[in-house]
Amino acid sequence: MLLESQAAVIARNETWSGNVETEPHEAGWAREAIFFVRALHEAIGKPGTARVELSPDGMRWVPEGTVFDLPRKPDEVTFARVKHFGTWLRVTAELPEGASLVVLVTLHLKG
Amino acid sequence: MNRDQQALLAAIRQSDPKLSRFDPLPRIVTFDDFDRGFCGWTQLVGNYEHSLDAMLPGYAQHSMAMLSTLPQWDFGSHGAFDGSYALKLATKPRKAAQNVTIKRLTFRKRGPIRLEFYFTFKPEATELRLSEADVRSIGFLYDLQTGDQDTDGARIMPHMRFLNAMDGEHVQKWQFKRHTTEVKPIGTENKTISHYHLAPQDWEDLPGGSQKLCYNEIPTKVNWHYICFDFDLETMQATGFRCNDRVFDVSGFDPIRMPAMRNLWCMLNLAFFVETDVAKRANFYIDSVCLSGDF
Repeated sequence: MLLESQAAVIARNETWSGNVETEPHEAGWAREAIFFVRALHEAIGKPGTARVELSPDGMRWVPEGTVFDLPRKPDEVTFARVKHFGTWLRVTAELPEGASLVVLVTLHLKG
Repeated sequence: MNRDQQALLAAIRQSDPKLSRFDPLPRIVTFDDFDRGFCGWTQLVGNYEHSLDAMLPGYAQHSMAMLSTLPQWDFGSHGAFDGSYALKLATKPRKAAQNVTIKRLTFRKRGPIRLEFYFTFKPEATELRLSEADVRSIGFLYDLQTGDQDTDGARIMPHMRFLNAMDGEHVQKWQFKRHTTEVKPIGTENKTISHYHLAPQDWEDLPGGSQKLCYNEIPTKVNWHYICFDFDLETMQATGFRCNDRVFDVSGFDPIRMPAMRNLWCMLNLAFFVETDVAKRANFYIDSVCLSGDF
């Protein structure tokens, strides 16, 4: 039996500034996940880092512990690997004042 | 197919618990049970050329459907009609936000086809109240085009939605659509156009189309519903529609019709869509889908 696998675009051509988060993604069927964040344009300022979050219900969120740099140059890609995450996943970031970034975020699930 | 063959086919299907709750036409084109994965249902991305900025805003809001156990904060996973997983399509938490999931096929023969599916819908349970008027609508559509040798070349888009609520009023009626937005060129190469066929205007009531569906008594409990929609690819007309115990007259139903497009011959796309009436996510769950044809 082949594993189930899905590549999901979860944020497309979105401009991130200030406090941002991706939509709750339900993936209880998956055993592993990778978030990729791709910069579609040159970042303005220093966008900083993003973090992975978990949730018991898709509405209340807690940090999973993984923190990764956001990309800064066009087509630069950064990523975070996650395992043992329960049912819900998302990525959040707090961009410093004056910083912004246009992103394509994909979530790759396997289980 | 003779009567013996028909009886044998019916016996085989009725003895299969997965198929016996459907009434397919002789040929099953696709039977999608989301316990087997996504089954080819994907995100409806809008058209663009050179830059994603060219995408119409109606499409830019779309996101990927998910495999869901319908997990609820107050009791846990609800599970699907059959097995653990259903396909979940969720809007963003913004009033009037929409989302669409699509499966892209082509047809072999212009004749009768039947779409059957089991579904339910609920708002995200962010409040301890009934919330029965928070989901604006759920619906389904075909995106069809005639074959390249056909003399009646056209693109045809039958749309049907259950308007559950509008601006807080619990409406509960079926509607159809025969107009899309103005077709706009996308980019600079004169090869791509776009229009938003799920724009809020131009919905019309299906005559006799009021229906009260089982919603249950709190926002986390769901009940599954059945839909059967018959369409004839030869005449490009709807020929039947039922939801649970109600059979509706579709003689007043009409699809969106537009000139044939250069790259869409024999297209047979199926799509499901959901809209929220409030700044809260609306979830549309599909347990299983059976598309069949008379060929």
